[in-house]
Amino acid sequence: MNMSKQSFKVALVIPAYNEATVIAHVIRDAKKTFAKTSFAADVIVVDDGSRDDTATVARAAGAHVIEHVINSGSGAATATGLSYADSNGYDIAATLDADGQHDAKDVLNGVERITKDEADLLIGSRIIQSGEMSLLKKVGNKGLSLITLFLFGINVTDSQSGMRIFSRRALEELRWKTSGYEFCSEMLWRANQVGLRIGEYPIKAIYTDYSKAKGQSNWNGFNIVKVLMRQRIVELFSE
Amino acid sequence: MSRYLILVLLNLPLIISGLLGSLIDYKTNKISKSKYIFLSLLWLIILLGLSIAEPFYQFLYSHNLTETASMSLFDVIQFTGIIYILYMANRSRIKADVLERRVQDLHQELSIKLSNHKK
Repeated sequence: MNMSKQSFKVALVIPAYNEATVIAHVIRDAKKTFAKTSFAADVIVVDDGSRDDTATVARAAGAHVIEHVINSGSGAATATGLSYADSNGYDIAATLDADGQHDAKDVLNGVERITKDEADLLIGSRIIQSGEMSLLKKVGNKGLSLITLFLFGINVTDSQSGMRIFSRRALEELRWKTSGYEFCSEMLWRANQVGLRIGEYPIKAIYTDYSKAKGQSNWNGFNIVKVLMRQRIVELFSE
Repeated sequence: MSRYLILVLLNLPLIISGLLGSLIDYKTNKISKSKYIFLSLLWLIILLGLSIAEPFYQFLYSHNLTETASMSLFDVIQFTGIIYILYMANRSRIKADVLERRVQDLHQELSIKLSNHKK
């Protein structure tokens, strides 16, 4: 990237579904962290058809809110947020979970790495320093990363991480088809197909009772595997 | 006319349509080269399977590897029906996929445009 750091426009995309309890804290934390830097950062919340006041709370906390008319899944909400970032000329975009499990300082670290041209798509890996993660979660995440390696040939330690940083090139070229949680693995596959450089860096995950309750169960992991396998086979016959 | 020949003749239009369809999709950049090769090979394997069905049956029968009767006209219709259903099911699934993607894109665009109005 040939721009000065001052001119970087960063979109912090937060896909959210029924997160009224914590979303304001996540937005304020992200805004506060980036306010101390020279990046021009905007928080974009994609409310995926929540039944609570997520959109109202997010708007009050200072985020630009995009509301999905119907609940479409985490993959679809992320795609909407990144499409907004792409069409509004952002240089870098970052996605983070709405349940407060990510530290905004880790997002900033990832954004700085992208400005140094380390990769086009950076995954914040919770596994590299997986201190607080429960054994069951660790096994589930490693299992899905192995499936991602087996199906798509992409070797990353945390294929399901919600914290991802995208370069301008990734914003323009990266598209995926699945709309649920399986998009995390599919995104890596598509990134590889269009020749994007994929990288990883360690992040810490903050596990609260709330984030533990909101997180995916390992049973959902089986569903992800099923959809990914189907997607891999269907791709052979599709347009 | 041999029933095996009828089987090939009945399925030939489907196979040619499948081969042509994948060639058109490839030439109009709808599918990649590797996918074009895969689909073409798939249709050619089906054609090959149907073409060698009679000599294969005769080989098995003469070597006492099967004792079943030769294919009946009903079998011919049944095989053709199965291949036709597979062909139609795949076409329908592709159309449904394209439609689903368009609805998703529409939903995305609509949500972004509405959010800009609320700014």
